[in-house]
Amino acid sequence: MVQINFARREVNCKIVFYGPGLSGKTTNLEIIHKKVPDTARGNLTSIATEQDRTLFFDFMPLDLGQVAGMKTKLFLYTVPGQVYYDSTRKLVLQGADGVAFIADSDPNRMNDNLESFKNLERNLKDYGVDIRKLPVVIQYNKRDLPGALSVPELNAKMNSINAPTFEAVAVKGEGVMQTLKGISKLVVDRLNEEYAPVKSAASAPAAVAAPAARPATAPPPPRPPSGVTPAPAPAARPAPPPPPAARPAPPPPPARPAPPVPAARPAPPPPAPRPIAPPPAPVPAAAEKKGSGKGGLILIFLLILLAGAAAAWHFDIIKGVPPAPWKK
Amino acid sequence: MAMGKADESLRSTRLVFYKEDIEKIAKVLNTFLKNANARCVLLVDKDGHLVTKEGESSTYDMDTISALVAGSFAATKQMAKLLGEEEFSIMFHQGKKDNIQLSLVGERTILAVIFDDKTTLGMVRLYASQVSSKLGELFTDISERKSEGEKISQEFGQAAKGKLDDIFGS
Repeated sequence: MVQINFARREVNCKIVFYGPGLSGKTTNLEIIHKKVPDTARGNLTSIATEQDRTLFFDFMPLDLGQVAGMKTKLFLYTVPGQVYYDSTRKLVLQGADGVAFIADSDPNRMNDNLESFKNLERNLKDYGVDIRKLPVVIQYNKRDLPGALSVPELNAKMNSINAPTFEAVAVKGEGVMQTLKGISKLVVDRLNEEYAPVKSAASAPAAVAAPAARPATAPPPPRPPSGVTPAPAPAARPAPPPPPAARPAPPPPPARPAPPVPAARPAPPPPAPRPIAPPPAPVPAAAEKKGSGKGGLILIFLLILLAGAAAAWHFDIIKGVPPAPWKK
Repeated sequence: MAMGKADESLRSTRLVFYKEDIEKIAKVLNTFLKNANARCVLLVDKDGHLVTKEGESSTYDMDTISALVAGSFAATKQMAKLLGEEEFSIMFHQGKKDNIQLSLVGERTILAVIFDDKTTLGMVRLYASQVSSKLGELFTDISERKSEGEKISQEFGQAAKGKLDDIFGS
């Protein structure tokens, strides 16, 4: 199952090499590992028996680098071929986006090919997948065997789904990359069909409206329009820029300054009427400008005390103090 | 449970994760890392794809770890079935220095926690169960929302084929 991760700007596809035991699935992966440039290949991991037979699966990630602004990876898996490993085979097949079926050209192995192909069909069906609708290619391996069945014969016997076929001698590296490219292109085509925006008139406005509804996804413009950038993945990785851009959450800042400013100005008048009008007014305003609300309050309190003292003086409440000059 | 329904929807609608979803998930995971004092946490899909990761993980080969986490979890599920259980929801591997605990979130995502002796299995397990239910709610929201988000570019197919020719030889 293709995973599209817009946060990591990644597209991940799973391709499974299927087929009977000893048909050359692991060999295919080993050759791919040898031939693919260092920048693209990951480690080849095998879960195998002591005799180097695949026990669970082999796994290798392939990094295609930036493709149309998305870091694209193919994850290659092989299944164990022996009949009695069916349950593990089925597990590996889960979520496959494409299958490369590796068949043995030896006439004596024809039944094994057919049995394995039926098994593939059945296991896919159990996952609700119709083999005719899934990208599948068939590789006829071991073409160098004396007495190998001809391609028309093989096609007639086992290619009932009309899948693209490739001839190969995997141990010598022949036909391996062609097979991989064949299945990869089918997977990519399918992906494009299902996920690329449709150009129809009805869907066009929806595509435009979508980014507006999601502010978080709108900022990542680093997506290069051509997408055909050379392999250097780390340099081109556009994923990091968007997160910091989205994090500051632009909407709140403009909202915040707006209400407080008008609200702050009307606020000073209420305390103003109480003390003697002229001096206090500018004082709290200045205090507010500095942002120290406490200082303003203390000043107001002192002014009230002063006014109280003046009143006391006026009404001769304090003994031993000469009368107020304005009383006469 | 609602979670089951959400998973069904995720399963059928394929795996598309938008930036805002991952940011929410990352917040939950970061809180978990602080609380549990674990080193690193990964969220892996059952197909073996990494959904997101938080914590110190620069030295790890994440693609392979994700594939192996999914593989071992799938194998354990088969084992559980043979033993009459539907699923083992937690797996724990103990090493000399580092340990890893895998636990299921919903039906199709695995939470992998890597931790050392700075914390204990009990702490990790306690907070992992809390974080699982939070993530479960997030996944429900994600799956119930209509997918009208970002799309991949129409040139993707052609560009990808060009890349395949470059890398695999034309």
